[in-house]
Amino acid sequence: MMEWLRLIVGGICILAGIATALIAVYGLFKFKYAMNRMHVAAMTDTLSILMVLLGLIIIRGASMDALKLALIILFFWFASPVSSHLLAGLEVEISDKLRDNCEIEEEERGGDRS
Amino acid sequence: MSRLRKDYEHTKTARFVAFVQGDEPPRDEDRTEEWRRRVEEQAETDRAANASYLELPDTDPQADRRLLRMTGFRRIRRFYYVIAMIMCLMIIGMLILNVAYMPPFGSEDAPANNEVSERYLEKGGEETGVVNTVTGMILQYRAFDTFGETNVLFIGACTVIILLLHREGEEDKRRHHEESVSDNGDASEWTRVTYSPEYDRKGDVILQTIAKLVVPMIFLFGLYILLNGHLSPGGGFSGGAVLGAGLILYNQAFGFRRTERFFDEKIYDIIKVGSLCLYAMIIAYYLFTGANGIPSIVPLGTLGAILSSGLILPINLLVGLEVACTMYAFYALFRKGSF
Repeated sequence: MMEWLRLIVGGICILAGIATALIAVYGLFKFKYAMNRMHVAAMTDTLSILMVLLGLIIIRGASMDALKLALIILFFWFASPVSSHLLAGLEVEISDKLRDNCEIEEEERGGDRS
Repeated sequence: MSRLRKDYEHTKTARFVAFVQGDEPPRDEDRTEEWRRRVEEQAETDRAANASYLELPDTDPQADRRLLRMTGFRRIRRFYYVIAMIMCLMIIGMLILNVAYMPPFGSEDAPANNEVSERYLEKGGEETGVVNTVTGMILQYRAFDTFGETNVLFIGACTVIILLLHREGEEDKRRHHEESVSDNGDASEWTRVTYSPEYDRKGDVILQTIAKLVVPMIFLFGLYILLNGHLSPGGGFSGGAVLGAGLILYNQAFGFRRTERFFDEKIYDIIKVGSLCLYAMIIAYYLFTGANGIPSIVPLGTLGAILSSGLILPINLLVGLEVACTMYAFYALFRKGSF
């Protein structure tokens, strides 16, 4: 009984993660501007990976593998938003179409860059 | 006696010879009058050729579309999409069909299951003392082959150094030196190596915070993969890649100045050449003992312990250092032109 419950809950989690990823793929091709697409990709990197790996953890139960999966989630949540942030920073710096596509508050940028 | 060309010192050969001998390459400004005239002529013809090309569009918004219709591109675009889709589907179908013809997973009749792999699997443990048979295969049975691969890495890094290593002239050095001193105030660190400011950029606060958290973990994990290569999946190449990635991340976050406190060109040279030479010595030892039928004096240890399997552990370490150095060298050379 418990096994089946775990399987069902884990399956729902995994399916939700896959659905998120599919929506993100759609968005990736629908949006035209780099920033929007980056937003979509960053959302997938965190949410859908969390859902899929969480589902696997639930199915697996408490074990060493579950711990490793949890560490993978932790690493992804550290790493992928930062990499998206860096890509977005690059886009802000080099793009000449930035002002056509989004509003920018006039502010002195990059105080901590040297 | 062979004749020299009049502008010999500006030819590629002369430049290469000067580079090999460590001389200053001739500057472009010192070139002969003849050469300068030729370059200017060339530039003139280029400009003339470009002018006709540049005049074409931009003034007329219809011109673009007319051009497209002229080349028939619009007509074939839809056709092109359909063809691309059909091609993709055909390739997918062919691949799936191939998968269907493959022997089932773990089947005894699979072509990979021949006497060679049988030998590795049966005798690998007692002959090499490793649990991870792949490592035993790569670093013991085929150690010579892996030595060649490591040499390829070394030569690759050397080639990139030859192509990209960039030392600024004495004049630039002084200028940058003055700039940087006026920027930062501490002159002592800046005397040896120069930085033009656009190369030595740090990451912002977000990246630095994350790097502080993650980089030690990455180094630790890389070392774990290196040292545990004979017990679990991993080994020299993957562990070295992880180490190199950690170095690159650290550099990206904190800049070249802080990286050079523990990893500068000198240390890079020592590690890279030293590890390759040690590896070559180990291989020589293998060849010597194997060719003369002498049993190896290195004990194999107990199966599964961390200090076991003879020389595989040091080889893993050396290969890992080599790979890490190569990755970091590629990154640093492409980004800055030096270490």
